[in-house]
Amino acid sequence: MPETSYSVLGIFETPDALMKAIPKARAAKLGEVEAYTPYPIHGIDDALGHRKSPLGGMVLVMGILGAITAFGFQYWISAIDYPIITGGKAANSWEAFIPIMFEVTVLFATFTAGLGMLFLLNKLPFFGHPVLSSKSITGITRDRYALAIEAEDESFDSAAAAQTLKDAGAIEVEILPAPDRSPFLTSNFILRALGGIFTACVVAGLAMFFLTKWFPLLAPMKYMQDQPRLNAQKASTFFKDGHGMQQPVAGTVARGFLPTATGTQEEAASLVNPLPRTKEVFAEGRKVYVNRCEVCHGSLGNGVGSLTAAYGGKPANLQSQMFREYPDGKIYWAIVNGKNAMPSHAPYLSENERWAVVHYVRALQRAQNAKDEDLKVVAP
Amino acid sequence: MKLDAATSAGDIPEGLLEPALTVGRVTPGSLDDQVLAFPETKPPKQWYFALAITLTAALIGVISIGYTFITGIGAWGNSSPVFWAFDIINFVFWVGIGHAGTLISAILFLFRKRWRNAIARFAEAMTIFAVICAVIFPLIHVGRPWLAYWLFPYPNQRALWTNFRSPLLWDVFAVNTYFSVSLMFWYLGLIPDIASMRDRTTSKLRKVIYTILAVGWRGAATHWQHYEKAYLLLAGLATGLVLSVHSVVSFDFATSVVPGWHMTIFPPYFVAGAIFAGFAMVVMVLVVVRETMELKNLITMRHLDVMNKVILSMSCIMGYSYMMEGFTAWYSMNEFLHHGFMNIVTGTYGWAGWVTISCNILIPQILWFKKARASYFWMILVAVGVTIGMWFERFVIIVISLHQDFLPSAWRIYKPTMVDFGVLLGTFGIFFTLVLLFARVLPVIATTEVKAILPDAQPSHHGDEHHA
Ligand code: HEC
Repeated sequence: MPETSYSVLGIFETPDALMKAIPKARAAKLGEVEAYTPYPIHGIDDALGHRKSPLGGMVLVMGILGAITAFGFQYWISAIDYPIITGGKAANSWEAFIPIMFEVTVLFATFTAGLGMLFLLNKLPFFGHPVLSSKSITGITRDRYALAIEAEDESFDSAAAAQTLKDAGAIEVEILPAPDRSPFLTSNFILRALGGIFTACVVAGLAMFFLTKWFPLLAPMKYMQDQPRLNAQKASTFFKDGHGMQQPVAGTVARGFLPTATGTQEEAASLVNPLPRTKEVFAEGRKVYVNRCEVCHGSLGNGVGSLTAAYGGKPANLQSQMFREYPDGKIYWAIVNGKNAMPSHAPYLSENERWAVVHYVRALQRAQNAKDEDLKVVAP
Repeated sequence: MKLDAATSAGDIPEGLLEPALTVGRVTPGSLDDQVLAFPETKPPKQWYFALAITLTAALIGVISIGYTFITGIGAWGNSSPVFWAFDIINFVFWVGIGHAGTLISAILFLFRKRWRNAIARFAEAMTIFAVICAVIFPLIHVGRPWLAYWLFPYPNQRALWTNFRSPLLWDVFAVNTYFSVSLMFWYLGLIPDIASMRDRTTSKLRKVIYTILAVGWRGAATHWQHYEKAYLLLAGLATGLVLSVHSVVSFDFATSVVPGWHMTIFPPYFVAGAIFAGFAMVVMVLVVVRETMELKNLITMRHLDVMNKVILSMSCIMGYSYMMEGFTAWYSMNEFLHHGFMNIVTGTYGWAGWVTISCNILIPQILWFKKARASYFWMILVAVGVTIGMWFERFVIIVISLHQDFLPSAWRIYKPTMVDFGVLLGTFGIFFTLVLLFARVLPVIATTEVKAILPDAQPSHHGDEHHA
């Protein structure tokens, strides 16, 4: 059946016999000549008239692409999208990107070399080739050297091809049918593959959704949430009283909060403001006053704050004659201990903040009752 | 460019001619019958016995790792200031073991060392298994390995990116690349061999498996042409890679300021150490393979002799590196470096320093003698010694440097726990289990590559016309 046959295989016992037969088979011009060998034979590419493998160029291009990709990716992340300074280096210091550039270059190049060779150049995997199902294949992958004359068109004459190979010294000749073209990489195949990938994505997405919903966190994955630690304001079995938070030992004093002005207001009158009158101190005092005093005493200190009548008490008018003549120590005492409807501010204000606000109250008083000399101080 | 460098005997002086690569008469057919037969025969009792031992060890490792997951990293001895201990020691140790495989398969290929063909397959397989063992450690060291994918820079809802200035991230890339490239290299080499197995097996199941794995390889000359080109390119790429991987691993240490780590000699020193340890492991395994699998005619005493020579030369490089470390410490005039170095020889862990020096530098010197290189006793002694020594070298570098650094108030003695040892034993179990399985299911010798270098394998008249 010469018209359906696709190729004719001639088997040789030694590489020498194979090499000698190649020119003869090519000279017959019956079809394309291809050799099948158990291992690469030196010089066979030239004998068969193969062109050089383009793999080197492909690998070079992809390697360079890998380097550029890695550099661009790292640069964009480290210098543009997420610029975090580490080790005191500038965000765009590229020297640190080199190791990963190298790795990615090698990765791109290797995959191009390996997969490019298999898929693109050798068109593998392909399981339908007639040589694979021939009788001769057991010899070809073992210790026999085969030369094939393969059909280029309909007019292939397998009998003549078989005769040529026999004349060239083949010890055995086998006629093979046309290849069984497997459906790999046809448009139909690609469409179905895409459909398969899409379905797989949907299934995986739904699976993830329900898995995380039904099994939110399994031990030990939830250990970060369930740490054996005490939370503030929570009960605990660790202490006898069942409280998570414990009172400090009786008599504990926080840093900067040593009790002061413990006597009467009159006794405190002799205290001297230890802070100098500097810009910083006034700024600090102003901050404390605005945050802590203004609601009641008003921004001018005249006792008219934003507090409504519902408060009940009447905040003192600090601009009154009496308070302008008050010694610093008595104001200080009032801040620390509170007075009648005014609460103690000792828990919120440190020693320095208390004295700073005293300075500020003095400044307010002076500002509202300025004398002519004060103007001179301001004017240069 | 060919799988092996064809050297026309006429140009080379007699003394430089390579001796025969095989013993006795080996033909392509007999080679297949000898090597590809293993997967089809029933394994001997000893194999099952060995597998039982390695599986037990692996099981201990799995239990230890499971225990670590349930209790947390506190199950290990790691504690301030020694936050890196067994986990990182073992990681560096195993990555290093892998390097011999890549060296043999890639660098010796580029150097046209044809003897490599017989041992390349096994060494490459060991590379892959060693990297698998190595990767376990950083994974379990992150504490919550199910989140280890955070190490990769991918767009995420936390709007965070990885820090590309960190050597630890470089490591992620280096080790992953190394693993993928090694796997690719190994698999490409296997394809023609699997095709041979496909065409000789009589079992239906094996036929299906081998058919798929061999991707329809049919030995066409056009295919071989691209294949050889790909192999050459991969060898070139892997050569760069093998030098880079352990350099990057050494950056984990060298780019920090810890005394004893911050040294420029680290990258070459680590690479040499890795090749050293890897060769020792390969020698150990090959001796066993050669004896138990009847491969004496293919893995010859000459192979072992050459590998022992490599071990010896690496040992000398290690000796130089150790001296350089001492010199750097002394020349730096830095008291922290002085202290760190003195710790290696006299400190609490001084014994570990001496184990390192004697196993890595002193014992291998026996290999200067040809008799020792030809004696199983000495080469196994050296190989086991080097394996122990190289493990302790990493212990010395990591634990000794960390346990006493700049802040004396933070100094502490590190003690590993049983779990630490369990995980270490486990990785040995996993490694040797994989080696045993590999020896039974895949061709342990790259038959295709060996066929190509047998006498009469290449056409006799082929001259220089195609060798540009
Ligand atoms: C909750 C409102 C309120 C706040 C806040 C408040 N005060 Fe008063 N303060 C009062 C009232 C009410 C009085 C009048 C007490 C009385 O009946 O003598 C008063 C009285 C005073 C007096 C006069 C004390 C005396 O000896 O008669 C001074 C000084 C004073 N406050 C300063 C301050 C300073 C400084 C702050 C900020 C740290 C402050 N107050 C915050 C309500 C407040």
